Amino acid sequence: MNKLLPVINFTFSNKLKTKSFVVTTIIFAVLLSVGIHLPYIIQLFTGNESTESRIGLVYGSQPEIAESLEAMIAKQPDGKIKFVKYEQANEQALTHDFENGTIKGYLEFGESVGLQFPKVTYTSKKEGMDLTLQSVLQPALENVKMQYVTRGSSLTDEQIAAISAPVVIEEQKTERTAGTGSAADTKEDPKPAVVNYVIVYGLIVLFFMTNTMTGNMIAAEVTSEKSSRIMEILVTSVSPLTQMFGKILGMFLIGLLQIAIFIAVVAANLALPYNQASLAELNLDLSQINLQIVIVGLLFYILGYFLYATLYAAVGSIVSRTEDLGQAVMPITMLSLAAFYIAMFSLSSPNSMLLKVCSYIPFVSPVTALLRFGVGDATLLEVGLSLIILLIAIVFFSWLAAKIYRTGVLLYGKRPTLKELRKAMKAYKI
Amino acid sequence: MAKPLVLEQVTKQFGEKTAVNDVSLQVEEGEIYGLLGGNGAGKTTTMRMVLGLIYPDDGRILYHGQEYSSELQHKMGYLPEERGLYPKIKVSDQIIYLARLKGMSAKEADKSLRYWLERFEVPDYYNKKIEELSKGNQQKMGFIAAVVHKPKILILDEAFSGLDPVNVELLKATVKELRDEGTSILFSTHRMEHVEELCSNITILQRSNTVLQGKIQDIKKRYPREEVLLHTTGTVTGLEDISGVERVERRERGYSLRISDVAAAQEILRRAMEESTVEHFEIKEPTLNQIFIKEVGESHE
Repeated sequence: MNKLLPVINFTFSNKLKTKSFVVTTIIFAVLLSVGIHLPYIIQLFTGNESTESRIGLVYGSQPEIAESLEAMIAKQPDGKIKFVKYEQANEQALTHDFENGTIKGYLEFGESVGLQFPKVTYTSKKEGMDLTLQSVLQPALENVKMQYVTRGSSLTDEQIAAISAPVVIEEQKTERTAGTGSAADTKEDPKPAVVNYVIVYGLIVLFFMTNTMTGNMIAAEVTSEKSSRIMEILVTSVSPLTQMFGKILGMFLIGLLQIAIFIAVVAANLALPYNQASLAELNLDLSQINLQIVIVGLLFYILGYFLYATLYAAVGSIVSRTEDLGQAVMPITMLSLAAFYIAMFSLSSPNSMLLKVCSYIPFVSPVTALLRFGVGDATLLEVGLSLIILLIAIVFFSWLAAKIYRTGVLLYGKRPTLKELRKAMKAYKI
Repeated sequence: MAKPLVLEQVTKQFGEKTAVNDVSLQVEEGEIYGLLGGNGAGKTTTMRMVLGLIYPDDGRILYHGQEYSSELQHKMGYLPEERGLYPKIKVSDQIIYLARLKGMSAKEADKSLRYWLERFEVPDYYNKKIEELSKGNQQKMGFIAAVVHKPKILILDEAFSGLDPVNVELLKATVKELRDEGTSILFSTHRMEHVEELCSNITILQRSNTVLQGKIQDIKKRYPREEVLLHTTGTVTGLEDISGVERVERRERGYSLRISDVAAAQEILRRAMEESTVEHFEIKEPTLNQIFIKEVGESHE
């Protein structure tokens, strides 16, 4: 066992020095920084543009409506729209102002028939109505319409206000069965906080990404050791089991380091004052983070990693040439992809039967059980059961992988079939 | 004291195919033991069994009188036939790593590595990557990796292949030096002249069986001397007619004759002295190469 440390150390420090590692880490860090700045950057651009949109307002035959619309818009806090009044739809004056850029477009009202609200026409040069403008004008006009239609009726202002208020649907979840009495039941939130969704989502993506990345690195390392024939020297120095776990642990540390770097990058970016504002806008409250979810998530993350890593190592040991590796790891990649998509598609329905079943199947359980626990209704007991199954699977697959590894590293030539592998195992007395 | 390495009737089967059949040999302390054989004769399998990579189906292997155990890994050095090191990693990093896996401390390993680089007159390779070195120099690094931890038992599979004559001499001298320091060396090669120079005992394997074993001198005595080399100033006629001469080949400066009876050699010399002036006359000992070809057949390479 005292050889485990040198193996971990060697794997870790050499991976750290490779260009590919440095480059991918930097690229990801840059992408993350850009991603975080995106809301701010967008704000910067749109903000500049729409500080003041001047819009022509043709009073024409409906001065009353025009006036109340103006009043309504003026009441709005951000006041991004300014009206320029025109008594009549004077084609010449309007075109002139278009050309000058004084106005972006103009509103015109048609004739009203009886109680009906007149037709509203917005004329602009080319761009059409942009979304922000519409989102301001639409409710304003609706309010004006309300006033126009109810004018002279017996409705009080209060009643009108009540009618025009939008309906809010509030979501609430019933508490879990009171009998189980686990700590999770006493969560104060009736509904998981948004930030927990974000954490679960982030952990799933992280799991998938690091799993595929480090897994492929492990397999590639093993294969290259085999193809460069250094394996023959290594197996005479260290037991294959030590070698395999040293490699897996070394890569795991690399993965952790990478994650730590990414988290640091994210934290540094979020700490910038102007980003804090946009974070607040997204309604994320970091104080709402449920620590339990984070711990369970990390537990599943680590165990899931080991389960996949042993398989990647075993597959890497069977292949003799790096060219054949892609094909060989395909089944494992598919498996992790399946787990990823099951989790992603179930994000909105965390209590489905599919997830319930999946959370007890070792290869998909790391993500699905976390999902159920994080945003669904799984109890700690269920999570514990899932963890135990996962642990048993890890022990079994490590044992199997070590056997395959022991046999595989000495087999050269074409990729052996399962039958050949079994035969070789028997021959080597492993 | 028990011998460093003893193989007793070792047999290994892969499925139906027998890779090594009933092989026994003993390597003394400070001895280079030659393991010869054509391709696929079972040399590598035998070496792998000695290294404990695979276990024999039958028979046993003893190291200083003891069965294999993982502690033995520290005492053994191995230079595989298809040698390799990490191409993209510095010489110092990987050799120190390998030495540490063999139970050395990092400091000792560093010292030993520097000694060996100095010994091979390439101290500047310490900070180079393997892929930057020529093939021959990579091989030297592989050799260092095999001996850096001062093994008691050294297993060299085709140690000199692919090296230029200068480096072959350098490595040969090193191997002899290790032998004189008491290392037991199991040595496999296709090059018979190396065996003749280095080894005192050999085993020739063919299709998993031992076909020849023993001291080189004893083996050679068992084979009749059947080649005569004759250098004369003029031509010698009628050599073919001497009884016991099988074949006469004209050479640049004389003749090479194959005889079936050593007595014929005297007759050849008399005839040559009668007809011309003899510059050189030799009844040649069979070379190991000839013995090998005779035993293993022409198809070994």
